[in-house]
Amino acid sequence: MTWLLPPGALLRFEGLDQPLRILEPLGGGTQGQVYAVDAGGERLALKWYLPACIARDRQLPSRLRQAIALGAPSSHFLWPLALLEPTPEARPLIRHAAAGFGYLMPLRPPGFIGAHLHAGGALEISLQSVLRACLFLAEGFHQLHLKGLCYKDISLGNLFLEPASGRILICDNDNVDIDGRDLGGVLGTPGFMAPEVLLGRAKPGASSDLFSLAVLIFRLLTRHDPFRGRQELAIRCLDEPARRRLYGDDPVFIFDPLDPRNRPDPQEHAAALITWPIYPQSLQALFEQSFGPGLRRPQQRALTGQWIQALARCLDQRRLCPHCGQETFTDPEAPGCCWSCGGVLPRPALLQAPHGRVVLAPGNALQRHHLDPLQPIDLSHPLGELVAHPSDPSILGLRNTAPAPWQAWLHNGQQLTIPPGKTCNLAALHQLHCESGVITLTT
Amino acid sequence: MAFPNVRLSNRPLHFIYLCDCSGSMAAQGKMQALNQAIRQSLPGMAEVARENPEARVLVRAIRFADQAAWHLPEPTPVQQLQWQDLQAGGITAMGEALSLLAAALQSPPMEERALPPVLVLISDGQPTDDFEAGLALLMRQPWAQKAVRLAIALGHDADLEVLQQFIGPEPAGPGRSPRRPLQASTATTLAQYIRWASTAVVGAASMPASRLSDAATEPNLNIPLPDLPPTLLDPTDDVGPLVW
Repeated sequence: MTWLLPPGALLRFEGLDQPLRILEPLGGGTQGQVYAVDAGGERLALKWYLPACIARDRQLPSRLRQAIALGAPSSHFLWPLALLEPTPEARPLIRHAAAGFGYLMPLRPPGFIGAHLHAGGALEISLQSVLRACLFLAEGFHQLHLKGLCYKDISLGNLFLEPASGRILICDNDNVDIDGRDLGGVLGTPGFMAPEVLLGRAKPGASSDLFSLAVLIFRLLTRHDPFRGRQELAIRCLDEPARRRLYGDDPVFIFDPLDPRNRPDPQEHAAALITWPIYPQSLQALFEQSFGPGLRRPQQRALTGQWIQALARCLDQRRLCPHCGQETFTDPEAPGCCWSCGGVLPRPALLQAPHGRVVLAPGNALQRHHLDPLQPIDLSHPLGELVAHPSDPSILGLRNTAPAPWQAWLHNGQQLTIPPGKTCNLAALHQLHCESGVITLTT
Repeated sequence: MAFPNVRLSNRPLHFIYLCDCSGSMAAQGKMQALNQAIRQSLPGMAEVARENPEARVLVRAIRFADQAAWHLPEPTPVQQLQWQDLQAGGITAMGEALSLLAAALQSPPMEERALPPVLVLISDGQPTDDFEAGLALLMRQPWAQKAVRLAIALGHDADLEVLQQFIGPEPAGPGRSPRRPLQASTATTLAQYIRWASTAVVGAASMPASRLSDAATEPNLNIPLPDLPPTLLDPTDDVGPLVW
C-alpha cells in the first residue's frame, strides 16, 4: 500500500494547537486512508482522503465542517472531530503533490468488527446480540434524523459490531448532510439504495435512509438480501445492469405477502428461509411495509421509532427453547413452536410491568420504559437483568441494576429488600415494588 | 444459542492472470518483480475475499512464451493459493493465451451463475503469434464480454495497442485510466497495480461500493472501476537527469 502520510512523522495542521504524530496506517479504502495518530497523548484516528476522491467531491470539506459543528447524534457514531488541513511546514512531508485534507475521529475500540463478516456467516453471534445491534442502529439513525440530518450511505460497509454485546459503531460519517440541502457527495451503495435514488429520480435523504436502514436490518437479521429470490436465479452475470434490474427497475421483496414472483429458492437462498420465521409478525410487518408499499412511496417506509419499538418488543419476548436451548421470539400469549427444533413451546412466565412485559429468560432485561411510557427505549441502562445463579443455572434471578432498592413480596407473604447489585430468586417472587412502579410475576 | 449457521449465497468470482513469460521478461529482473508483486498481493486479496460475503474469489493463471499453458489451472480459493514462480524464456504467444482463456470462459466449465470475471493481462512486448485470432475467439464468449479486462504494460517495449484492444475501446480524454494499459516502469508501480487489481477491482466486481452523485459514469461499463492508486510524490521526479 502506498501511504500518503509518513508513519512516525509529526505533522502540524491548521487550527490544531499541537502536532499529530502519525503512529501507524490502519487501513486504506477507495476513498482514503486511516491512520492511528497521537494527539498530545491521546490516541485518535485520522482519515486522509485520496486526491481522486477530493477532486470528485468538491463539497466534502463543507459537509465535514457542518458535521463537526453539529456534533455526534449519539455514541453510536465514530463522528468527525476536526477537519485537518496541513500547515505550510507540514506539506512537504505529505507524499503527494496536492496537499489534501482529512479529519480526526475517535479510534474504533478493539472488539468491534465489520458487519459484513456477520453477513458472510464468519461470525459467532447470538440472535439477541443481532437484534440489539439492529435496535442500536435504528436508535442511531433516529437521533441523526431528529437533528435534521441524513446519512445517505447506510450499508454493511459502514457498520461495526461488538458480537458479545451487540453494540455498534457507524463510521464514514463524511456524507452526512442537512436533509434536503444536498451538498453533493454520495448516492449510496447499490443493494442498499432506495429505488428512486438508484434510478436517479431523487436525491438521497432521510426517506431514502429509511429504505437503506430496512435493507441493513434485514441483512443483519437474516444474513440474506431482501430482493434476492427467484428473480436472481435468472441472472447469469451479476453486474451493474443486473443489479439495477434487481433493485431498481422491478424490485420484489422475497417475502412480499401479495406478490410471490420473487420467493427464495430453497437451495440458493436457504438462509432467508431459515431465518425469516425466527422473527415475530410485528417485526416482519415492518419489512413487508418498507419493501412493499414503501418501495415506491417513501412516506410508507417504517420509521426509526417503529423499528426501535418492534425490536425492543421482540427482545422482551426472547426465550430459550426447553427442548433445544435455541433462542426463540414467539408471542408469549399465543401457542408456538421452536423455529429450530420444531418443539412445542410452553406458555412462558413473565415479568408484567405497567407498560411492558418481559419473558423470563437469562439475558433478558427489565427496562425503564416498561414502567414509564415517557422514558425513551434505552437498552444501555436497564432497571433489572435476568441472570442465572452462578453455581446453579436452573435458578433464575432478577438483579437490581437500578440505583434504588426494591421491595420484593414473596409467595409466602414474606417481604425482602433487594439493594442495588443484588439478585432476587424469581422462583419465590410474587411482586416487586420499585421506585417507578410495581412488577408482577405471572406464570 | 447462536445465530443459525447460514450465510448469504455467494457467487464465484474468477480472477485470471495472463502473464508474459517471454525471454525479455528475464531482463532487469522483470520476471522476479512480477512473481514478487503477485505473491505480495495475495494477503490483501485474501482479506478482500474474506470481507466480502457475496463472492467466492477463485484465482487462476496462464503463462505464455513459446506456447501458452495454464500455470495455475485449478480455480483456487485465494486463501489457499501458493504462488509458484514463473520462469522467463521464449517468444510471446499472446494470441494462444487468449484462446486458452476463451476455452475456460465457456459454459461449462464456467458456472451458470457468477460475478463478472476479472482478467489481468501483463506483458512487456509484442505478440509473436496471431493475437487478433485469439482475441476474436475470446470476445465471442459472453463471459469475456462481461469480464473486467485490465492490462499492465511492463517497461517501455510493451505493445500498448494490443493491450488496449484486449481492454476494449479507449476512453475519451487524456490521462491515466483503468480503461487504458497501466504502465509500470518500476517494480514498485507494478506491485501497486497488481495490488489494486487484486483488491480494489475484485471488491468492485463483487460487492458494489458507494456511488458518488457527480461521478463521471462511463457508458457501457458493466462494472464501475475504482480509482487507480495515487502516484506517490518522488522528490527526484521531473528534475531532469540526476547525474551527467
